[in-house]
Amino acid sequence: MIQVSELTKTYSDLRRGQFVAVDRISFHAMQGEIFGLLGPNGAGKTTVLRILSTILRPSAGSATVNGYDVLTEPALVRHQIGFVSANTAVYDRMTAWELVEYFGRLYGIERSLLRERMENLFERLKMNDIRDLLGSKMSTGMKQKVSIARALVHDPPVLIFDEATAGLDVLVGRALLDTISELRNQGKCIIFSTHIMREVERLCDQIAVMHRGHVLSAGTLHELIEQHEEDDMEELFFRLISDYDTRHELASVER
Amino acid sequence: MKWSNVQLIFLREVRDQLRDRRTLFTIAVLPIFLYPLLGMIFIQVSQFTRQYPAQIHVVGAEQLPMAPQLLDGERFSAELFDFADESNLLEVTPYPGLDGPVGDELTAMVEQSVRDGECDAVLIVPATFGQQLAEFRQKLARKSLRRDQASDIIRQIPGPKIVYDQARDESRVARDRLSRVLQLWREKMGHTYLAENQIPLAVARPFLAEETDVAPEAKKRAAIWSKVLPFVVLIWALTGAFYPAIDLCAGEKERGTLETLLCSPAQRSEIVWGKLLTIMLFSMVTSLLNLLSMGLTAGMMMRQLQAFQKIVTDMPLGLPPLSSLAWLLVALVPISALFSALSLALAALARSAKEGQYYLMPLLLVTMPLMVLPSLPSVQLDPGTSLIPVTGLMLMLRALMESDYSAAALYALPVLAVTGACCLLAIRWAVDQFNNESVLFRESEQFESRAWLRHLVRDRGDTPTVGQAMLCALFILLLRFFISSQFSLPADWTGLATLTVLTQVAFFAIPALLMAGMLTRKPGETLLLRTPRWFSLPAAVLLAVLLHPAAISLSMLIQQTYPLPEQIEQISRTLLSGAPNLWVLILVIAVVPGICEELAFRGFILSGLRHLGHRWWAIVLSSIFFGVAHGIVQQSITATVLGVVIGYLAVQSSSLFVCILFHVTHNSLAILSQEFLQQYAQRLPGSDWLLETSEVGIVYTWPVVTVTLVMALGVLQWFRHLPQQLYAEERLQEALSHQTARATT
Repeated sequence: MIQVSELTKTYSDLRRGQFVAVDRISFHAMQGEIFGLLGPNGAGKTTVLRILSTILRPSAGSATVNGYDVLTEPALVRHQIGFVSANTAVYDRMTAWELVEYFGRLYGIERSLLRERMENLFERLKMNDIRDLLGSKMSTGMKQKVSIARALVHDPPVLIFDEATAGLDVLVGRALLDTISELRNQGKCIIFSTHIMREVERLCDQIAVMHRGHVLSAGTLHELIEQHEEDDMEELFFRLISDYDTRHELASVER
Repeated sequence: MKWSNVQLIFLREVRDQLRDRRTLFTIAVLPIFLYPLLGMIFIQVSQFTRQYPAQIHVVGAEQLPMAPQLLDGERFSAELFDFADESNLLEVTPYPGLDGPVGDELTAMVEQSVRDGECDAVLIVPATFGQQLAEFRQKLARKSLRRDQASDIIRQIPGPKIVYDQARDESRVARDRLSRVLQLWREKMGHTYLAENQIPLAVARPFLAEETDVAPEAKKRAAIWSKVLPFVVLIWALTGAFYPAIDLCAGEKERGTLETLLCSPAQRSEIVWGKLLTIMLFSMVTSLLNLLSMGLTAGMMMRQLQAFQKIVTDMPLGLPPLSSLAWLLVALVPISALFSALSLALAALARSAKEGQYYLMPLLLVTMPLMVLPSLPSVQLDPGTSLIPVTGLMLMLRALMESDYSAAALYALPVLAVTGACCLLAIRWAVDQFNNESVLFRESEQFESRAWLRHLVRDRGDTPTVGQAMLCALFILLLRFFISSQFSLPADWTGLATLTVLTQVAFFAIPALLMAGMLTRKPGETLLLRTPRWFSLPAAVLLAVLLHPAAISLSMLIQQTYPLPEQIEQISRTLLSGAPNLWVLILVIAVVPGICEELAFRGFILSGLRHLGHRWWAIVLSSIFFGVAHGIVQQSITATVLGVVIGYLAVQSSSLFVCILFHVTHNSLAILSQEFLQQYAQRLPGSDWLLETSEVGIVYTWPVVTVTLVMALGVLQWFRHLPQQLYAEERLQEALSHQTARATT
């Protein structure tokens, strides 16, 4: 479903020169599987997911979504994905229904099918009470629901959630995680980025720990625990990162 | 691009804007209430304002002659005004003149009192003024004067003096009123003298000129409105475009919804077109509403003012004729399109709505002079002005509104071409902004000039960036215009040759070489200094030869339509004929420009512009710069067309030598044909069907032009099949266009 190989993203920065945000990372995610990108802030998770959603272009390497290349076939890739991130806000001056309908029609879904799907979605996500509420009047949780409905309206095979639970209260956050695991059961391929271990432990089939643009370790939860002989996920995460930082500092001192 | 998506985005944006109170306020509420309110305030204020009487001191009032009367108590005589009640506007305080020598002391005193503001103006009547006039009058009556004596006496009588203060408004007004009174008084005095000598008054006015105004009422109105309305329409079209543009781009970035839209299947071009149409709609509606509200208010105010104050005026007031309004509406479409596209591109650049507001000022500063230029009386539609964006359009609109259709038709093509090109460029720019992730996800960075300079050198690419290419082009144009305007045109061959070579080397070659050396890692690749495939060199020469007849015809056609100023033609002809021999002439006019201009325009500038990812845009843009750099409008058009051909050669052959060879051959042929065709045209075998003489010179016949042109297309076709080196951006765009094809099938 998703193939990422040697993906690199560099920015040119006035002070630091070429800044490597993502450094030759590779992974793949399969159908019916939740792939978790775990990393601290600034690890490059958002950059990777933005590249997968074709909002950014890779500087080198390649990534394909359902067989389509993100660099050369972005429009086709966008048909395959639903993208929810902290940066994909909802329109203030549109109601929930209007917004989902608008995006549905941008995907070229036929009207009667769209209506049927939307009724279904609003029912499933329990959004019928906010149907005619303007975006500006919604709470964070409501907005997130609308975003998810927006991402699901065209029934994409791939879903990308970037820090989707950020800012949500426990109730809404839990409901969201339930929805995501339900989507997996429907056979979707899901990429899920977070910096919260608990979510990863609960949800993800595959995990990649990212830090400073690198994948430090990858595999199933079980594999990670075995590989590093550490059954506390938080401890494992912390150790991976501090080890990397120490090595990095040593290297720069030697240089 | 799918139009259904464009339509969808357009409808959403319009609805979004209509739900925004601020937008509604600026485009609808403000104009509807603004003008009536302003009108009301104006009428109210005008009822309260009145003209204040000026204080005039008359020194030596007793010296004034009795008849005709100047003073009538504390007023000037009512007969000395066009309207009787105007005499109230001058309040007079008479003072006796000083006895004895009326000298500097009195003058100094009076001047001080005017300066101190004790009065607004002082009229000093000389001591013997009345007496001398009376004596003159008696002599006249006795008819004891010879003709020349009368003039001598008049000349010796010292006249009254007006003292006023130029720096004070009241004093200046007082001076104007006073001198008008004195003028009428003098006239009256003259009439009295004539009457006393039994000379009929008509002698002083042997004839009266009669004026006939042939302009029909509607045309008079059109002439007035055609100067006011285009300006109003343009200003509001710009304002009406700018605020929605900021909200639709920068505002959306700020609210975080842009990323939502970008990850939807809508393509960037669809997003841009949807937004552009929205902005255009609001721009046009704003402009129209303002126009309507202003027109209605003005009409009502005029009627009211006329009723109140009985203004007598020959200004034809009333609504503009319908045809003018219709043309205004037609012109509103390209005007709004241009401003909307510009605003959209600028707004896409802004990170936030606040930053967007900052860009309005530069936009206004650039467009304002272009809008004001047409209202200068000496500016008419001509080959030069028709090529200036906005200005040309406004001048054409004025011509249309004044029903000067022949002028409008003559320049319709260049005006529309320039406006269309500007629109397309602005839209292209906007689309590129939406494709440019560094623009979309720009983060605020602390700007430091040293860090920036270091960044320029440290992070320089193999070839220049688009921005650097544009900078180079603008730098070259500015250098060319500002520095060359400092030189006077040389009068002889040596001067011209030196100037040409210097200009070429200093303005074109050196900037390009320096920038390529400093800003790129591979100056050689940037300037296309590559050995070409050897047979592309003769092909370039052949192409230049084949295009020569068409080029001559084109430049003749341009000269016929828009003749060169006689002076320029004369100078260039005398200078060219002054060359010591043909080889030197070719060296100076063909070889040096061929090398220097190619280094700049096809070397640095085109190489940078190709990072746009669209070859043809890069070629056309670089040729427009190439054309503008030629300075003379008539030359610029031909140069732009040739620039496209040379640009194509540069892209296809990846070698500057091919371009230089084409350029040199083309210029040389132009010189040779000028030198030899005139002399040998008659003797050439078959010259009858090869050449013909037109008004402006010898040209090739149309069969020759057609045949050579077809053959030239063949050569270009050969160039098309050369293996070319595409830029990464160009390869990506090609792949992306394949994707579109795949998506639509």
